Amino acid sequence: MSTAPASKTVAGHAIAPRASGRPWTFYVLLAVFVLYVLALYGPMFCIYILSFQDVRGGLVFPMKGLSLHWFVDLFTQVRTGDVKGSFDRSVKLAVIVTVITVVVSFLAGLAFRRRFRGDGVVFYLMIGSLVAPGLVLSIGIGLLLTFIGVEARWYTSAVGAQLSWTLPFGVLVMFAVMSRFDRAWEEAAYDLGASRWQAMRLVVIPILAPGLVAVALFGFTLSYDEFARTLQTAGSLNTLPLEIWSMTLNVTSPSLYALGTVTTIISFVIIAVCLGTIGRMQKRRASRVPPL
Amino acid sequence: MAARDGVFGWLYISPLMLVLVPFFVAPILVVLAASFLQSDGFGGLIASPTLQNYVDIFTSGLTLNLYVETIKFTLLTWLFSLIIGFWVAYFLVFHIRSPLLAIGLFLLCTVPFWTSNIIRMISWIPLLGKEGLINMALIKSGVVHEPLEFLLFSSFSVVVAYVHQLTIFMIVPIFNSMGRIDKRVVEAALDAGASRFDIMRLIVLPLSKNGIALGTIFVVSIVMGDFFVIKVMSGGGSASVVGALYEDVGVLQYPSAAASAVVLTIMVTLVVTAILRSVDVRKEITL
Amino acid sequence: MELGHGHIELAGVVKTFDGFVNAVDGVNLKIPDGSYCCLLGPSGCGKTTILRMIAGHDDPTAGEILIGGENVVGLPPVARRTAMMFQSYALFPHLSVRDNIAFALQVRGMSKADRRKAADAMIEKVRLTEFADRLPAQLSGGQQQRVALARAAITGPRVLLLDEPLSALDEFLRIQMRQELRRMQRELGITFVHVTHTQLEAIALADLVVVMDKGKVRQAGPARDVYDSPNDRYVAEFLGGQNVLSGRIQSVNGKHAVMAAAGSGIQVPLTPHIRLNTGDSIAVAVRRDDIELIRPGHKTSDGTASLSSRVTAIEYQGYFVKVMLDAGSNADFVVYVSERKFFSNPVGVGDVVLATWPVEHARVLA
Repeated sequence: MSTAPASKTVAGHAIAPRASGRPWTFYVLLAVFVLYVLALYGPMFCIYILSFQDVRGGLVFPMKGLSLHWFVDLFTQVRTGDVKGSFDRSVKLAVIVTVITVVVSFLAGLAFRRRFRGDGVVFYLMIGSLVAPGLVLSIGIGLLLTFIGVEARWYTSAVGAQLSWTLPFGVLVMFAVMSRFDRAWEEAAYDLGASRWQAMRLVVIPILAPGLVAVALFGFTLSYDEFARTLQTAGSLNTLPLEIWSMTLNVTSPSLYALGTVTTIISFVIIAVCLGTIGRMQKRRASRVPPL
Repeated sequence: MAARDGVFGWLYISPLMLVLVPFFVAPILVVLAASFLQSDGFGGLIASPTLQNYVDIFTSGLTLNLYVETIKFTLLTWLFSLIIGFWVAYFLVFHIRSPLLAIGLFLLCTVPFWTSNIIRMISWIPLLGKEGLINMALIKSGVVHEPLEFLLFSSFSVVVAYVHQLTIFMIVPIFNSMGRIDKRVVEAALDAGASRFDIMRLIVLPLSKNGIALGTIFVVSIVMGDFFVIKVMSGGGSASVVGALYEDVGVLQYPSAAASAVVLTIMVTLVVTAILRSVDVRKEITL
Repeated sequence: MELGHGHIELAGVVKTFDGFVNAVDGVNLKIPDGSYCCLLGPSGCGKTTILRMIAGHDDPTAGEILIGGENVVGLPPVARRTAMMFQSYALFPHLSVRDNIAFALQVRGMSKADRRKAADAMIEKVRLTEFADRLPAQLSGGQQQRVALARAAITGPRVLLLDEPLSALDEFLRIQMRQELRRMQRELGITFVHVTHTQLEAIALADLVVVMDKGKVRQAGPARDVYDSPNDRYVAEFLGGQNVLSGRIQSVNGKHAVMAAAGSGIQVPLTPHIRLNTGDSIAVAVRRDDIELIRPGHKTSDGTASLSSRVTAIEYQGYFVKVMLDAGSNADFVVYVSERKFFSNPVGVGDVVLATWPVEHARVLA
């Protein structure tokens, strides 16, 4: 081990010695990290590549040629599943869930700033909702609906089922975001004559905005990919994950891979938009600290 | 201003409760109720209470096997995701100098998770299958003569899929915990002559405990509650508790499924509660 | 007599925080309109709590607070026509300097053009015109403070409340900004209530110094009174310019009493107000710069009290030298000797010296 004094970098981050380069552990860990990232992205790259499989090709390598055939197949052939319809529903559902998640998480985050009677109970209910097996809740909601005599629908019961998953995440993110919010800003607003609503609109929400975008991001992606809880609560019309599930059981062509590529692109676009928004907001604040 | 906020606390929390109660509390209670009832064979429930469902569960050898399988996978997944997750987080926090780069690399790790679970699962087939890339590479390079069967549709592939999917749940809280370690504490230790191994053992590990606990909660609850990863990746060779539950629901055997669900949920709750006792969650998620 | 708008009166104000011992324990105080008042005391003495209660961010558990003659307890901050400058400045990080300053006008519904004009006028006053479009994170500490001041003052409050406004600044800047605050106060002509734990700052700025300890007011008065004529031991020691000797009275004769302290008999002036009897335990305060050091063996004149002791430390402070003496069980006994005088006949650590002062200059403390 080097006995050089620990570096005091501007960021204050590393403990690796300064001028003499990196210790051997750095290279080992770097290798581990690289392997991990490769393993993470590896399987998906196979899918991306294979989705351009030639018409004559099958589900595995080698590639017999390049074509966009399977993408076309995906969107046009009925037998491959109702991709367009389920995609449509998934997006709409995700938007609904996202909006509700942001609003409710924001309010809950505000509530938890102080202790109130029963705050422990609420907190543990949230954790419970998070760790409960998704399928169990799904079944429970399904049974409940049968009891009441209401039918499951992707735009009603599935919304609630997905919220039971996204809200805990959203509230936890809000906890983290709120903890960085200085009450003095709010007090200063009141001091200067702002009403409760004005303080919220002009000070609290703008300052918390990057955090709210982060909650929206979580909400959207968690909803878009949600499977277990939606399974029994979506009703007769499938969301995209449910559709994919039934496709994996039935479809044996690379159009499935094409689907994978398409959904990935969409997810990436959404994330890029959200992160870009957060980044831009932070830059305008000239703030030195990242949002999460 | 202080006193006036009291009322608003409950007002602000009510939307959350409006969701949690009907979509978490109620379903759990319904499942609990259903577990004490009998099936009429057609997916309906007969309103005569019975403990038969539970008796069936506890006397069935199948139950034990299922739990053994499930716990086996839980432990293996936890172990590997912890080891990998811990070192990745450690690398990002302690060996990357620029915080911007660290966040960037961290995001790089999270990005794959913004795509569908199921797609990521089937993506193993072209990689691990008998005609998959790995086998092809191994055969071509002469390491083996026949494709390795165990790579896919086996316990191995189940664990691989779980670890692939869940390591991120370990990385995030551990990264968060480690990031909060005051670097000056580490510098003071180096100053006092501690080796890097000492620092790991005496400073980093204890201060990351909370992150590890949180990650464990996520991993354990997801694996124990899973039914489709194991079904697909084991090719039907293995089963899990929830998997069997799913089968029951498929044949409309709600009461027995409900009973099984209750038992599982209690087990998961016990494990999570035990872990929660050792960490102050609210303090941990503040920045 | 008509009370000015910004005249503040606290009557029997008490504040308890759930379970806490009284953070503010029965405070009575009158702050004249248009004066600069400093609340001085160590952390936890209740000064910030009082400030926040005057502002309306906290309510007293008991007692009345009157501003301009009207009881304001229960009124929200905006209705009191007070403005507060927070310790951390609390500048809105997402708004420019101009928008920060114009905020109070914005929430009152002023048009964009009007409030821009008013804000710019205020920015001129604090001399930050070229920074009008910057964000708070792009400003230095001193500049941020000026923005905070402008933001509070734009509403034309009758009282401006400042919570340790200079603590975040470095020494040099602190002294500069002191004058800035004083200047603003004179220009605006309103009451300033300034909370600080720095003694020199308080006596430099304030017309009225209020010394506090553990929720109570120990002494309130003009700076000179508090510094020169402390009422009790706490104020004397806190203000820092006095030595406090405690001991028992050995004898009383005519003009003086003799107190046994620090191994010597020390003469103490008798005043009509305080009756001293043999055997009483008293405390006496002597100003540190009133004391002269002479070599042992010199005769002291009648009317001079003296104390013999050993020098324990010497600190050069520029225009004076601090000489610390060992005074037995008493806390530090410190003498401020003017620099030239010291170096004309310097003493060293370990020397035995005689500290002398005119008896009449000492004060018997309550």
